[in-house]
This record gives sequence, C-alpha cells and structure tokens, in this order.
Amino acid sequence: MPDAMLRVDSVSKVFGGLHAVDAVSFTVAPQEIVGLIGPNGAGKTTLFNLISGYYRPTRGRVFFREKDITGLAPYTLARLGIGRTFQIVKPFGGLTVLDNVVVAALLKHPRRQDAERHAWEVLEFTGLADRARDPAASLTLAGRKRLEISKALALEPSLLLLDEVVAGLNPTEADRTVQLILGVRARGLTIVIVEHIMRVIMNISDRVVVLNYGQKIAEGDPKEVAKNRAVIEAYLGESVA
Amino acid sequence: MPRKVLLWAVVMTAVLAAVPLIVHDTFYLRVLTEAVMWIALAITWDVLAGYTGYLNFGHGAFFGLGAYTTAILMGHAGWPFPLAVAAGSVLAAVAAFVAGMPTLRLKGAYFAIATWALARAVQQVALILEITGGPDGMRLPPFLHPQFFYYAMLSVTAAVFFLLWYLLETAPFGLKLKAIRENEAGAMALGLNPARIKIQAFILSACPAGIIGGIYAYWITYIDPASTLGDLITDQAVVMAVFGGLGTLIGPVLGAIVLFAFKTYFWAYLSDYQVLYLIILGALIAFSVVFLPEGLWGSILSCTAKRPQLSKAFHPLETKKEAPEVPNA
Amino acid sequence: MLLLPQAIVDGLLIGGIYITIAIGFSLAYGVMHIIDFAVGEWIMLGAFLGYYLNQWFGWEPFLFLPVIFLAFYIVGFSLQPLIHRVLSGRRGNPVLMGLVFTFGLALMFRGLALTGFGFFSRSISSALAEGSWFFQSGNFFVTIPVIRFAGLSYALAVTLGLHYLLKKTDFGLAVQALAQHKESAGLMGINAKRVSSHVYGLYVAISAMTGTIFGCIFSISAQMGPDLTVFAFFVVVLAGMGYLAGVPWAAFLLGFVQSFFLIYLSPAYTLLAVFAILYTILLISPTGLFRKGV
Repeated sequence: MPDAMLRVDSVSKVFGGLHAVDAVSFTVAPQEIVGLIGPNGAGKTTLFNLISGYYRPTRGRVFFREKDITGLAPYTLARLGIGRTFQIVKPFGGLTVLDNVVVAALLKHPRRQDAERHAWEVLEFTGLADRARDPAASLTLAGRKRLEISKALALEPSLLLLDEVVAGLNPTEADRTVQLILGVRARGLTIVIVEHIMRVIMNISDRVVVLNYGQKIAEGDPKEVAKNRAVIEAYLGESVA
Repeated sequence: MPRKVLLWAVVMTAVLAAVPLIVHDTFYLRVLTEAVMWIALAITWDVLAGYTGYLNFGHGAFFGLGAYTTAILMGHAGWPFPLAVAAGSVLAAVAAFVAGMPTLRLKGAYFAIATWALARAVQQVALILEITGGPDGMRLPPFLHPQFFYYAMLSVTAAVFFLLWYLLETAPFGLKLKAIRENEAGAMALGLNPARIKIQAFILSACPAGIIGGIYAYWITYIDPASTLGDLITDQAVVMAVFGGLGTLIGPVLGAIVLFAFKTYFWAYLSDYQVLYLIILGALIAFSVVFLPEGLWGSILSCTAKRPQLSKAFHPLETKKEAPEVPNA
Repeated sequence: MLLLPQAIVDGLLIGGIYITIAIGFSLAYGVMHIIDFAVGEWIMLGAFLGYYLNQWFGWEPFLFLPVIFLAFYIVGFSLQPLIHRVLSGRRGNPVLMGLVFTFGLALMFRGLALTGFGFFSRSISSALAEGSWFFQSGNFFVTIPVIRFAGLSYALAVTLGLHYLLKKTDFGLAVQALAQHKESAGLMGINAKRVSSHVYGLYVAISAMTGTIFGCIFSISAQMGPDLTVFAFFVVVLAGMGYLAGVPWAAFLLGFVQSFFLIYLSPAYTLLAVFAILYTILLISPTGLFRKGV
C-alpha cells in the first residue's frame, strides 16, 4: 500500500474539560480530496489547527508521509509541504495582492525576483492576476478567499488544507472556486477540505469524514455517508443544500 | 516613486558630503552633525516600529550603551576609537537579543512598556556602577575636529539608510517583517518564523543606534546617565518617526529634519526650553496620532498619489475594514 | 531575624500602595484594552492637587479625598472620548496608537507639571503623619506609622469598593461584559462609549487619590510619574494583564521584595531586583503568576 500522505492517529485535544477533538483517526491517500464535515462546533477547525501545528495534540500523533510531525511549528510544516488556509480570512492588508503571494513564494524561491515570478504564475492560475497591484485590503470576500488559496499554493505544498473556502460566496463564485480546487488536485496535490456547503463537499470529495462533538462518526464515500443514520441525526435541523 | 526617492537620497548624501568644503563655520557643522544623528536614530526606531509593529520605547538605551561602552573602553582601557565604537555596537546587539527574547513574544503594547522599563533599568545600572562614573558621568579624551565627527555621523547614517533601504524595501526581509506585522499567525503558515525574524529586526534596529551613540560620546566628550540614557533620546526619536510617517524610511528622515530644525530654532530663542520642549513633544505625538496617523510623509503621499488606493499600500499600521466574518465551525 | 516582622509589615504597607497604583491601570486595560503610559502622571497630578488644596485651605488630605476623586473623575470622563477616537481609528493599529497617544499625554503632563511646579519635591502634611504604633513582643518589635496604615486601609477600601462595584452592581456587570466582548456587549444594549468613559474616569480618579495619599507618605515631584508607571506595569504583568484579582497578590509580593531590600540589603538595588523579577516573569510566564493574563 502506498504511503499515506496524511495519517491522523487517534488525535485528541482537550481544553479544560472540553474534548474539542476526541480520538480522531483517518488517513488521506496521495491526490485524494477528503472532505471534513460536521455540524457547528464539531471540531473541524481545531483538527486543522492540530494538523497544521497551531495546537499541540493532548494525545495522539500526526504523520505526514509517514514522518511524525506532531507538535512541529506551522512554519516547519510549511517547509515540509503542508499549506493551509484560514477560516477567518486575514490577508496582509497593508501589502498588495502580489506581495501577499510573494511572501509565501519566498519559501521555495528565496530570491525576490524568482518569488515574484512564481507569484505571478500562481495569481494567473487562481485568476487574481488583474488585481495583483491592488492593496489586498481592497478585495471583496471572494477575492480574499481566492488570495488565501493563492498564498497556500505559492508554498508549492504537497498537502493542502482548505478551511471553508467556499462559505459566504454566491453560487457563481462558489462554482469558480470548486473548479479551482479540482484544478489544484489535477496538478498533483492532496487536499483536505472543511466545508459547510453540502453541495460542494459531496460533489468534489473522493471520501468524506464526519465529525460530531469532536468524534469521528462516519467515514467513506460521500453518497454512503449521506445516508448514514448517525450523520443525518447529527445534522437534524440542518438543511442539505 | 521609490526609485526617484532613492535618487534623491543619493543626491542629498552627496550634497551633505560636500558641505564642509564650502561651509567653514563650525557651529553650522555641529548643528548638521546632530541633525544627521537624529535621522539615524529615527529611522532605526522605525525599523521595529513601523515595519514590524513593535514600539521600542527604550530605543535610547542602545544609544546609551554604545556611548558608555565607547567611553569606558577609550577612557579606562585606552582602546582606539573605531574599535571601541564597534564594541559598543556589539553590546547593543547583544542587549537587543537579551531584551528581545522574552519581550518580543508579547503583544506590541506590552513590548512598548517592557522595553521602556528595561531602558530605565539600564539607566539605573549606570547610576550605580563605579565604572560608569555614576551620576557624574564620564569624560572621554578630547578630539576637537568637527569635520571628522561630521563625516563619521554622515557616513554611518548614510550607510544605515541605504542598508535599510536595501533590506526593507528591496530584499525579502522587509516584506517578511510587514507580513508578521499584519498577521503573525498567517505568516507562520507561510513558512516564516516570527520569533527569529523579529529578533533580527530588533538587532538591526539596535546596532546602528549603538554606533551612533559611540560617535556621539567621543564627539561630545562628556556623557552622563541623565543625558545619554534618559528618556529624552527615545522620546525625540519616537516623535520624529511618528510625526514623519511610520513604516517608511523617508518619513522618519522628514520628521527628524523638521523636529530638529524646530528644536534648534526654539533653543536659540527660549532659555527655559527643556521643559517647554517636553510639552511640545508630547502634544506633537498626541496630535499626530489623532489627526495625522500616517505622518507627514504618509499624508504627502496620499495627497499626491494619482491612484489614492495605491497609497494605502504605504500606510503601515492600517487595519482593514474586515469583510463579514464567517461563523466558526 | 529580629527585623523580620518589621520587614513583613513594611512589605504589607508598601504593597497596599502598590495595589492602588496598579488596580486602576489593570481595570483600564481589561475594559478598554489600553495600556495607559500616563498612569504615573495621573498619580502625580492628583498628588499635586492634594498638595495645593492642603497648602491653600489647610484641609486634612484624607478628608478631601472625595474632592480629588470627583475632580479627576470628571477629567477622565471627559478625556475618554478622545482616547476612544484614537482607539477606534480607521487608520493605524488602534492599540499601539492608543499607547503612543498616552505616551504623548504623559510627556505633556510631565512638561506642564515641571513648568507649573518646578523641579523640587515636596510633601503633603497630614495630621496622621505624626503618630506611629509600636508593638513589642520579647525581642521582636514592630513600628507601624499610622499614615502608612491609613494608606493600606485606603487600598483595601478601594479594592473592596471596586470588587463590590464590579460583581454586585449592574454597572459592574456592564463593565465585565464590555471587557470580555465589546461587540456582543453592544448588542445587549450596553453603551460602550458611556461605560468606557465611566471606567476611565474611575481609573483616573483612583489614581489621583492614590497620588494624594502617596504624597502624605512619601515626597512628590513633577518627575515622579515614570517610576510609578513602571511599578504599575510590574504589578500588572506579575498579576496578569487585565486580571484584577491577581493585583493584590502581586502588589504585596513586590512590597515584600522592596521592604526586604530596604532592610536587609541595599535600597539602591531594589529597582534592579524588581526589574530582574519582571524580566524573569516575562521569560517564563508572560501571562502572569496565575497565568490568567490576557
């Protein structure tokens, strides 16, 4: 069996008495798109924070390409090949859109000229090239989310963690982003995506992992999972888009 | 625009270098020497303040450490001037490292008051120790060559300016600093190690201040804790940078020139100036913060920019009106 | 060893003063998220008002504390909108700009004070400054100057008063809400500006009263501000920024450190010892002794 790109091994995060994440395990194979879903407060972003080095797990370990990355700092993980976006988008407002991406591009291209060239490429790919010289603060929400993705892509990662990159966008923008994500996977990246919008997750994920109250309650093919009793109950009251 | 500014800077430096050949009155030379000194202090303060977002209210301590190191090494140990000054800058760098380690982890506001407190500690030490001469201060061997000190200050300041220009505006370093300033957590996800970069910025800010302090000590030939390690050095550097415009290199230069010109003019006409000067400094800071947040240079840029949007890229500490936040998962 | 009880008592008494220096400062930070560089200057101004009231009218300082309180409450209350404007500016990093602003205020006040009051230090005369209580048990003896005890009582009164205000009144509830989450508080009908103005007025008023009392026990000068600001900062960092309950503990700890240095070692090194403690705390536990800081 080929090396898993990401292996989360019985990871828990306890805050005070609260088990934000409770013994969650799953694996992600190379070039898979795995969707991470669950009701509000299920622990999805906490799990992301655990994988990307912002939190240290209370228990359990995280493996990236079979290398133990538990507790490593976010900047080390970026160097190893993990990129992530943030749910609450905060671009470097005082910088231009281009410079935002250049900061990320510097990781693999230490010289400014090379980094700028690479940044342009990324912006072309994500469709923001025409806003490159504008201040990042002038972008709309859709633009900012797109910028988030651009920055993560500029790291040239192998694994991309996307946190709610579609939420808050209108259907047209959402579809554009979905195309972008599929395009990213076509370039050889592995993607784990957290999302509320069922339509998006169900359509692009190869597999889906469902969290509720910090625990994994289901995993598998999106259509199977959608029929899973526990999953439906967890979402009771929530409309499936 | 940046290229034009750089060209102007080169021209100005050349002009300033030519001054002693034309002007022979040592009074003016001394005034210019001090003006150049303040430019260096203001821009080094801005490295950490405007570019990185950390206000070092103890900046004067680096100046004082440089001054005292030079004084002690030249006075007690007979070291030659260049070596003593170099040692002073090394000490300033070490001090920045030691002080920065615990404090740069804090948020910008704590950092401000922590560095302020630490600078007062340094002053305390100087007041207590025998080797520093206590409250009576220290004398240095006199060397009365105004041109020498003018060129010393000018060359150091110019070198610092162009080095900072390169590091902060051209090379990646400045970009990294600004990224950390705007969103530290986000910067970490992009491979930046904030702790390391901030310390580097701190040392970059401290070293030149130490050198300037060393030159100052030899130039003035007498230093004491009150004048060299007191608040007033930092206070003026802060006003110059804030009033001139944070987050740029030209802003503090402008602020330094304006404030120093004002101070020189003021001093010539008012005897009780020290106290009144304090009031004016304070009022100027408060005024700048409320009415002129981008400083002189920032305001100039805003007014003359053809695309008002682009000038926002120069506004260093701007917070953006956030798009509506998506609820947490 | 014989001096130990005295050292402890002195520590308690000094610590009391430190509480009052720091508690308003911590409150202002917790609610308005502003580190007020001018705290020492507010204390100084209060001290001088106390001095002049005492000089001109011959009143007993402890009796006209309410006057000081009222006068400075009004000043702080009126000044707050300006601070609010700075803190919520569209341009500039608000918290840092607020800091720079109060830094400017501190300079201005210091300059004005030096202009108005000169460079010399004075003391405020109080009837309470005369007496001391004297206890002896075997070889141990303790002297408690009445005035310092009064200072401690004042500190405890202020602490209890604030505790009552914050925990038992509606206003206090509003303040806590504001401190914890500004936006939500607004949604609950709390007028953030008004409450902040009151809090700032309260903080300035308490600081000013502390100044008067300080002036009865120690001497005052136009330059006394910075050292007091440093101490306020120490106490609050030790306690944890914004964590009011930690202030008394931190204040007493620093009081003990100071009194021990005064009695057993050299007073000149007191400040350095305090700096060393601050540095260590920042290194090990930046959120304060109780790790409850913000």
